Amino acid sequence: MTELWEVLRDAFPELASGFWVTVRLVAVSFVIALAAGTLVAGLRLAPLRLLRVIGATYVEVFRNLPLLVLLFISFAGLRRAGLPVSAWVAGTGSLGLYTGAYVAEALRSGVFAVGKGQVEAALSLGLDYRQALRRIVMPQAFRTVIPPLANLTIAMIKNSAIIGVSLLALPDLLKEARIYQSQTFQTDATFFWAAVGYLILTVSATIVARRLETRYAIRR
Amino acid sequence: MSSTRLRWLLVALATFAALVFVACGDDEEESGGEGGGGDAAADVKQFPADSALGRIQEEGKITIGVKYDVPPFGFRNPQSDEIEGFDVDMGRHIADALGVEPEFIEAISDNRIPFLMRDRVDLILSTMTITGERDTEIDFSEPYYIARGRILVAGDSQIKGIADLDGDTSVCTALGSTYEETLKKEAPDSELRLVDSYPECQELLQNGAVDAISTDDVILTGMIIQDDTLKLVGDNLTTEPYGVGIKQGNRQMKQLVDETLQAVKDDGRWEDSYQEWVGQYTDQQQKPPTMTLEEAVELAPE
Repeated sequence: MTELWEVLRDAFPELASGFWVTVRLVAVSFVIALAAGTLVAGLRLAPLRLLRVIGATYVEVFRNLPLLVLLFISFAGLRRAGLPVSAWVAGTGSLGLYTGAYVAEALRSGVFAVGKGQVEAALSLGLDYRQALRRIVMPQAFRTVIPPLANLTIAMIKNSAIIGVSLLALPDLLKEARIYQSQTFQTDATFFWAAVGYLILTVSATIVARRLETRYAIRR
Repeated sequence: MSSTRLRWLLVALATFAALVFVACGDDEEESGGEGGGGDAAADVKQFPADSALGRIQEEGKITIGVKYDVPPFGFRNPQSDEIEGFDVDMGRHIADALGVEPEFIEAISDNRIPFLMRDRVDLILSTMTITGERDTEIDFSEPYYIARGRILVAGDSQIKGIADLDGDTSVCTALGSTYEETLKKEAPDSELRLVDSYPECQELLQNGAVDAISTDDVILTGMIIQDDTLKLVGDNLTTEPYGVGIKQGNRQMKQLVDETLQAVKDDGRWEDSYQEWVGQYTDQQQKPPTMTLEEAVELAPE
């Protein structure tokens, strides 16, 4: 037990700096994922067939490739093709666009979950299509997608650990833990604290999601 | 560029070959050793069955952790699919001295010491520098090779030595290598990128994501063999005596390894391996190292 606390005290600066890198990675990726997801969900629901095809292609490409492959392509691949992307851009871009494909599907299913009758009722009451979407469909869809979005956020936080291990070698929480471990051989204690670091992030995400769920819950 | 493409092709071929031949064991080249040691089996010493070495003899094989991706010390030959190199030669000599078969498994810089501590391997021969810190975790043989720390850069780079690695530069080395400390000390402003293997460093240098790689000259020479647009710059940064990693406290093993290495250094087998794996590429001659383990530990950083 004392060993655990000693390692925490000794490794704290490194682990804290890694934690901060992971927080920033996840925050930027989250914004990219929401933006890309919303845009693509919009494309998939668009009245034009071409837009729907573009949206579907995006989802299939980013959902069906392993994240690690995306990281390699977006970093080594693009750089060799002459586009000097940094490890940060490649890392947040890959994780964000990858998660964005899932977000798009979650949003789309949320919109479909709102009954067709709701739209018909809104239109018959004199609202135009945009008003119906904004005032009737979206609020209900948002409520439905909170749990799946929470799942995706937690998955994204965990997936971010791949970025430091990959060729990108960003000094995130897991990477800093591995560096400390390789210098001290304190394997168990080091990775215990790395796990605690990831738990702080994932459990926080869970708590935020719970709050949102309660706030927008259907009162029956 | 064509040598780069060739390298990718070789990697692809090696992967394919590995897939095809994975099921076919091969026991053809068991004697190993290029120039001598042919009659090793004749004077093999038998160890008591309940001793560490006796158990290895009983089993008939010794498991040795080597690099798979560091030509010319330990790497998979894409043509023969064999693991070859200077470290592998030394491992075969030690196996010969025991009269058993060597089994080589991959040990990267980051996991080789845990492998030894958890009995995944009997020995580590993976371009491992003797350091005082490592010496508290495992035992080392006497040094069997002396490498020098150098810097490798792209052919058109302005970097001429460690002093040029300032705040605008980045430098790559392997996680768990001695260069982590060396670079933090000698090039504190340069961004340090730590990856799992040297081919990853090479990829980062070739695609321009880092400005330099720092590690042992022999590893860097291996990269130049694959891509002759890269170049070595600056003076020797460090002296890196390689030792065989032995589980802490296994004196019987340490004695056997030290005796075998001394014989290899004395009877010309060391020079044969040097010439095959290093000398023919660098046009340099070298004598077997005479540095002792104590000197190596004192020399090492920390």
